[in-house]
Amino acid sequence: MAKAQKGQVRVITGNAVGAYGAMLCRPEVVAAYPITPQSEIAELLSQFKANGVMDAEYVEVEGENSAMNVVLAAGVAGARVFTATSSYGLVFMYDALQEASGFRVPVVMVNANRETPGIHAVSSGQQDMISARDTGWVQIIVENDQEILDQIIMAYRLAEDYDIQLPVMVNYDGFYLSYLAEAVEIPNIEDVDAFLAPLKEQPKRQTLVPGVSKGCGTHGMEMGYVEARYKHCMALERVKNKVDEIDKAFSDYFGRSYGGQLEEYRTEDADIIIIASGSAAGTVKTVIDAKREEGVKVGLVKLRMFRPFPAERIVKALKGKKAIGVIDRSLCFGWKYGPMCMELRALSPEIGPSPILSYIDGLANLDITITHIGRVIDEVSAAAQGKSYQEVTWIPMEE
Amino acid sequence: MIEKTKKKSRVFDYFCEGDQFAGGVAWCAGCPLELTARFVPKVLGKNMIFVGTPGCAAPVLHGQNIGAWHRLPYLASVMTGVPSKATGLSRYYNRTGQDATVVCFTGDGCATDVGFQPLSGAAERGEKFIYLAYDNEGYMNTGNQRSSATPLGAATTTTPVGKFSRGKSTVSKNMPLIMLMHRPAYMATATLSHLEDFAKKLQKAKEKKNEGFVYLHVFSPCPVGWRINSNMSIEVCRNAVRTNYFPLWEAEDGKPRFTLEVANPKPITEFTKLMRKFSHLKEDGLAELQKAVDERFALIKSLCDANK
Repeated sequence: MAKAQKGQVRVITGNAVGAYGAMLCRPEVVAAYPITPQSEIAELLSQFKANGVMDAEYVEVEGENSAMNVVLAAGVAGARVFTATSSYGLVFMYDALQEASGFRVPVVMVNANRETPGIHAVSSGQQDMISARDTGWVQIIVENDQEILDQIIMAYRLAEDYDIQLPVMVNYDGFYLSYLAEAVEIPNIEDVDAFLAPLKEQPKRQTLVPGVSKGCGTHGMEMGYVEARYKHCMALERVKNKVDEIDKAFSDYFGRSYGGQLEEYRTEDADIIIIASGSAAGTVKTVIDAKREEGVKVGLVKLRMFRPFPAERIVKALKGKKAIGVIDRSLCFGWKYGPMCMELRALSPEIGPSPILSYIDGLANLDITITHIGRVIDEVSAAAQGKSYQEVTWIPMEE
Repeated sequence: MIEKTKKKSRVFDYFCEGDQFAGGVAWCAGCPLELTARFVPKVLGKNMIFVGTPGCAAPVLHGQNIGAWHRLPYLASVMTGVPSKATGLSRYYNRTGQDATVVCFTGDGCATDVGFQPLSGAAERGEKFIYLAYDNEGYMNTGNQRSSATPLGAATTTTPVGKFSRGKSTVSKNMPLIMLMHRPAYMATATLSHLEDFAKKLQKAKEKKNEGFVYLHVFSPCPVGWRINSNMSIEVCRNAVRTNYFPLWEAEDGKPRFTLEVANPKPITEFTKLMRKFSHLKEDGLAELQKAVDERFALIKSLCDANK
């Protein structure tokens, strides 16, 4: 495959990037309902449609539940679909999220991460996404505006792959990235077509066609149900390698790589590892560079995928490390650790006996600052040297 | 052997397809839903796609531990997503030039209660499909609980008769009128006692769904929940019409008119006496129900008269 042409560089917000990303993939049915901090996507896509830039059916639904139902049904009929939401919008889709994955519909959705406890939480945090963990979706988290755009394109390649056929949620930190304008290279639409073209060479997936006696979403049929669930779980397992393969193909064609399931930053010779995700990962890299100057052998594992959980690659990256610190931007109610830390601890037998320190930070628009990350690295370093440590730290509560 | 000569009734003239359902489906004895489900595709044709929900229609429409009991394509939905799913399907079929008649086939619980928001949304957007609500005045599949289509005074398992309760204390939602207020391309009420009227309306629905939203409200008594003899359900439909309890009317392009005007409407007791869900009502309770029926009918009549 040849290389893509250089795209146009524009300084636009994360939300605008989300809209461009969707438009470039030529969706056929789009439905969206406005919610802070995602509304700009719904507006821009409407404008694209109004201007004739995007040739899609655009359904201005009366709520997020309908947005998901419209796109999942259009997907069942065979359409390429897109929607975007945040926070309570995602919560309101809860039943339809499970239908989308249960029916194996390749929906691509952008979710601008936002807190969920009531209307007072109009602020950033990953709780919405974490609460949708067990809906059977693929959940990917990105760090910056360029990654939003590139990941949406890669998400279609993943979702519509014949071996996968699963909905994909592309998450980015609401407020931080949604309103942050950065320079973004927008690829030419023909190049995006070319990147997605391999999908056309695959066998055609099952669709609901008028006049053809077929049904979708039937009542549970005992063993039929179990078989469908088993296949769903096996498809999620296949997502792991597929994500890495698609990242490689994207890198070969567009020249940008994100590491697939996770990104490792200065981990090779590191003694201690910090695990973070989303926009905070950039700050962590900055602090790691400074700490390296001081001689601290620290690296970052940026978790790019939360579902399926990239267990094998995490074990590979963490095995033999002396201590690990996990920064969570959400809560795992009923467990003292943050959700990502809890999942990581399930891999303790494979990783080894190193201390794992859980940090809760960045809830409700609170910044995960350079100072906070410096403190995390110092404490994890101390734990690596055998000193006593606190298992769980709510950083904002101790300031 | 005597050769049978087929006598064509006027209803048969509206059929363009044979029966799409298997014989001996799993519905309760005497349930008009079976006749409705068999009847609708005969008029609408094979390019029909059912979008249904959990409910009385579910086991037959989508299968339950077995496959569906019919030959038509279907998309099964939870209660909250039916009109939105129909939107997604019909938008894509229309865009790609596939000839399809997407029909939402739900009970009154889905239409008037939990699935009302997306129904209202789809109607307002003028989506091009048919929404058919079979109204058995409650959640009959889960065991006769009240819905907002349950009439005043009716005894259900959640509006029971007791020392402090005489059945449901409020009137039902006037769903056909609510849907008319969305200004759909076509809205009609129908029931099985007036089959030709029903067939005409289905045919019109198929035509008008090319222009915009179509809502059909089909009165469908529940022999089990209402406690009707299983051989009496069509009679109950007929008396619902004759008492003006369920008037037959339609609105094409927002213009309401009666399709049947009952010359001498019978008192509501001619309807209530056929079932046991009103059997606890004394004279005052029945008078209240009569008043509610008269009030509702007068409102619809005033709209139809204004349009004459």
